[in-house]
Amino acid sequence: MLRLAGLSVAYGSFTAIQAVDIEVQEGELVVLLGSNGAGKSTTFKAISGIEKPCEGDIYFEGKSIVKKSPDRIVKAGIVQCAEGRELFSRMTVSENLVMGAYVHRKQKTEVKNSLSRVYELFPILQEKKSHTAGSLSGGQQQMLAIGRALMAKPKLLMLDEPSIGLAPLIVEQMFEVIQRINNEGTTVLLAEQNANAALKIADRGYVFESGAVVVRGSSQELLTNDDVRKAYIGA
Amino acid sequence: MDILTQQLFNGLTIGSVYSLVALGLTLVYGILHIPNFAHGALYMLGAYVTLTSMLLWNMNYWLAIALSVIVVGLLGVLMERLVFNPLKNAPPIHDKIAAIGILLFLEALAQLMWGADYRSMSTPYGEVVNIFGMTVTMQRMLINIGAIVVMVLLYLFLKKTFVGSTIIAMAQNRKGAHLVGINTNKVAMLTFLISGALAAIAASLSSPINLVFPGMGHLVILKAFVIIILGGMGSIPGAIVGGYILGFSESLGATYISNDYKDIIAFVLLIVILSIKPQGLFSREGF
Repeated sequence: MLRLAGLSVAYGSFTAIQAVDIEVQEGELVVLLGSNGAGKSTTFKAISGIEKPCEGDIYFEGKSIVKKSPDRIVKAGIVQCAEGRELFSRMTVSENLVMGAYVHRKQKTEVKNSLSRVYELFPILQEKKSHTAGSLSGGQQQMLAIGRALMAKPKLLMLDEPSIGLAPLIVEQMFEVIQRINNEGTTVLLAEQNANAALKIADRGYVFESGAVVVRGSSQELLTNDDVRKAYIGA
Repeated sequence: MDILTQQLFNGLTIGSVYSLVALGLTLVYGILHIPNFAHGALYMLGAYVTLTSMLLWNMNYWLAIALSVIVVGLLGVLMERLVFNPLKNAPPIHDKIAAIGILLFLEALAQLMWGADYRSMSTPYGEVVNIFGMTVTMQRMLINIGAIVVMVLLYLFLKKTFVGSTIIAMAQNRKGAHLVGINTNKVAMLTFLISGALAAIAASLSSPINLVFPGMGHLVILKAFVIIILGGMGSIPGAIVGGYILGFSESLGATYISNDYKDIIAFVLLIVILSIKPQGLFSREGF
């Protein structure tokens, strides 16, 4: 479904990711592991079209999307939920969600259906629908960010560190929801530092280190890989 | 008492014009973070286009305003496409330099096309009427009512239409707007279109009570910057309230202090607001 072929991104003279090859099949939940600055977010930005790669190509459903603008990539079905959440903080929860359905704005009933689906996934958002996004707690904001991304009906949902800064109990809920979204048919690409939790729900994973993929394999293989265990699971 | 009400009315009129100009400036700043010094030139061109269409083609005042709104709005879009969009990833100082460059260019162009003479614009609304014991011209009434109508329309557009909410979304979080698939180029062009249109309306309404000349935008744009600093950079209510505050202070200052110092009041206000509340009255809460 998605294939990165020898993708490199540079910020000035600094190479953020180098010759990254990643493949995601339809229906999979794939996780990118790695510490801060390893290149996960840069990879996401390149896929979303926010950063342009200096080398390599990105194929989505067989077609190159590397030259497409960010809004066209969203239209094609790749939606990112970014690490900083990037909500419209002075808009209400429901306004944020409706804005998430921007690419489907003409199909009013479809937007309504997506909205009730998101409220069903995250009942707290319905409760707080007329509050401003900025007034929500960190966990609720993260739910809203995921909900807003789902409103665009992505074929591929990219989640950048959804567990960052959240209480352990909330993290657990968050991963349950991500698994549910995946089970209901959305392909998910997840970037995480929380390797243990992420590998439990993922099919496969890639480990990033200083801008390159160093280990790849099924979740089972990664969970039992000594280097991965040492570096990211701490056992 | 009589003088006071008369001056309050004058303040309202001047404030209406200031608010309209400041609104266009604050929209562009709030959404695209460009301090558009060339906005004063758009204001000046708005007046010239209206004047020319009335004199040269005998157009009706309203038709001339409509043409001016379209021409100057499109000029705003052109400015965004040709100058500011290519500078999107450049350091912010480049926007400022470019804006001043456009200002100088457009002023020189106006001087070339229409000459440096001061011209007056005639209006079909020259008659004097008596309202609540005040003697006012219809044109001044028109400025007040016109400004309020435009502001209400702008408010409804931003708050009640989907296109309007994409503008607000981009003002609040540009990256978030990218993520939901908003075409930020289109929003940028639309913002410049509205900004140019507002400048044209302000100039066309106020020219019959002022004069039209190539440098007419200078003081107006400087004051508009004072207003948006006063109201909070990028804040819409800030631009409106700030415009009226300046309008009232100027007309009252001109009466009770000295007419010669009227243009200084804006800058005294600027110093006061920067010392007391540098983030401005509204600090963008209203967007």
